[in-house]
Amino acid sequence: MKQGVLMRFLNETGDITRFAGRFFKEAFKPRYEIGEFLRQCFFIGYKSLPLVAITAFIMGLVITIQSRPTLVEFGAEAWLPKMVSVSLVREIAPVITALICAGKIGSGIGAELGSMKVTEQIDAMEVSGTNPFKYLVATRIMTATLTIPILVVLADAVSLYGGYLGANIRGVVSWDLYWNQVFDTLAFSDVIPSILKTFFFGFAIGTIGCYKGYNSNKGTEGVGRSANSAVVISSLLVFILDLLAVQIIDLLNLT
Amino acid sequence: MKGENFKNTRLGLFVIVGTSLLIAAFYFIGSKQSLFSDTVTISARFHNVNGLMKGNNVRFAGIDVGTVESVDIISDSSVNVVMIIEKKAQPYIKTNAIASIGTDGLMGNKLVNINSGTNAAPSIEEDAILQTLRPIEMDEMIRTLNVTNENIMVISSNLRTITDKINNKNSLWNILMDTMVAENVKTSIVNLKIMSNAGVLVTGDLRNILGDIKNGKGSLGALITDTTLSSKIRQTVVKFEKLSDTAAVITGDLNHVIKGLKQGKGTVGVLLNDTMLIHNLNKSVETLKVGAGNFNENMEALKYSWPFKKYYKRKKK
Repeated sequence: MKQGVLMRFLNETGDITRFAGRFFKEAFKPRYEIGEFLRQCFFIGYKSLPLVAITAFIMGLVITIQSRPTLVEFGAEAWLPKMVSVSLVREIAPVITALICAGKIGSGIGAELGSMKVTEQIDAMEVSGTNPFKYLVATRIMTATLTIPILVVLADAVSLYGGYLGANIRGVVSWDLYWNQVFDTLAFSDVIPSILKTFFFGFAIGTIGCYKGYNSNKGTEGVGRSANSAVVISSLLVFILDLLAVQIIDLLNLT
Repeated sequence: MKGENFKNTRLGLFVIVGTSLLIAAFYFIGSKQSLFSDTVTISARFHNVNGLMKGNNVRFAGIDVGTVESVDIISDSSVNVVMIIEKKAQPYIKTNAIASIGTDGLMGNKLVNINSGTNAAPSIEEDAILQTLRPIEMDEMIRTLNVTNENIMVISSNLRTITDKINNKNSLWNILMDTMVAENVKTSIVNLKIMSNAGVLVTGDLRNILGDIKNGKGSLGALITDTTLSSKIRQTVVKFEKLSDTAAVITGDLNHVIKGLKQGKGTVGVLLNDTMLIHNLNKSVETLKVGAGNFNENMEALKYSWPFKKYYKRKKK
């Protein structure tokens, strides 16, 4: 039975890789589905913004409030904006945004494609001459890959604003001083790797969601299951990718 | 179709805001690292850079004007530090400015401090090499602090002794703290005031008296102001003088006489100096005493003798 689990895991990994490979093969061939891509951008990117913004704002606020006592202990209260900005931009905003999107987008794509698959709409598309992979999968993966970095940038901004408010709950940091300290601390080596890794987060979320939905079966029950496993696997992948990213950044001496 | 357009607008807004934020962030970070403004490259050779790294700040007169571009070892005793400085700071950095390695705060990042040189020197050019100063090393500073600490310990113990002495009951402090003393001092001052008031009155009186004297009022005034009296007094004084002269002569004579006496000259001198005589005199006196005693006895006997008895009885009554 153990062998079976391992085999299934390896099988699925291989399938996902092939699925991703197929995306690269098909997405860059002409006859681009621009309209569908923009529609997905609106739904995946724009519609996720309030959720992401609220989460990021709260994270910025909370991290600042939580960090204060430790810094006060060292008498380094003035370092609060610096510390908070680094932790928010480098790690917290990208990962939190990716997790939120894994929940919202991953489950959305999984359920949508799953139900289309179960109701045989995908098969109908294929019959009618439209490439369902190109129309449904490529646009969604592309959208997730491109909109999540934008969401992360917005989340960075909103969470830093939350940090500003958090720093001003107990202490007094002027608006100018706060942003000065933030940009004084942040370097390209903080921002660029953290933005770059979010493309991979987005790609992983889109790919897993589409794969799970596209390969959904067993009727309506399968729709729920594919949505669920899309969220679980993409969340897990976000962390695994984050681990990989931090190791690569460390190897390249960009920390 | 209208709804689709609206959605596209919002999507466009979303993308533009996101990317412009990213670009703004890059710009702000870049401007902090002086990447997008005009810069000049200068360098300085240090003996020891104390952990200075690429990207550390360069400060001129305390203002961040650039960053460290590279830190390279060029020989066994010198390290070349290349710095990128904003062009707008260039005119103020003179060729004789001194670069030194400092720390941002006590535990902060290392940085390069450039002190302004003298006005007379020309401004630096591209690729200028600045003079350097040996950086302050923390452990050296702590060593010095150690000595200072020991001194402070001695000083504080001395201070303690002094304060103990001051706090002691029999000390100046006690006097200072004693309210009674203060009260007494206050009373004394009040008394002094009263006294000085009286003094003022007295002086007023004195002035009056003096005025009177001046004007020849009263006996003293008369004495002082009367000119005839003064001439009389002068005469008297002259007479006195004469008298004292005579007295001096007399005293001289007396002196002479006494000297003579001492030497036993003359009758009185013999009398005074002859001890035998004194003895004889004593003896005579003794004899006289005895004689007188006998006479007394005779007189007592006489009282009771017949012819005088009556007389004494009558006298008794």
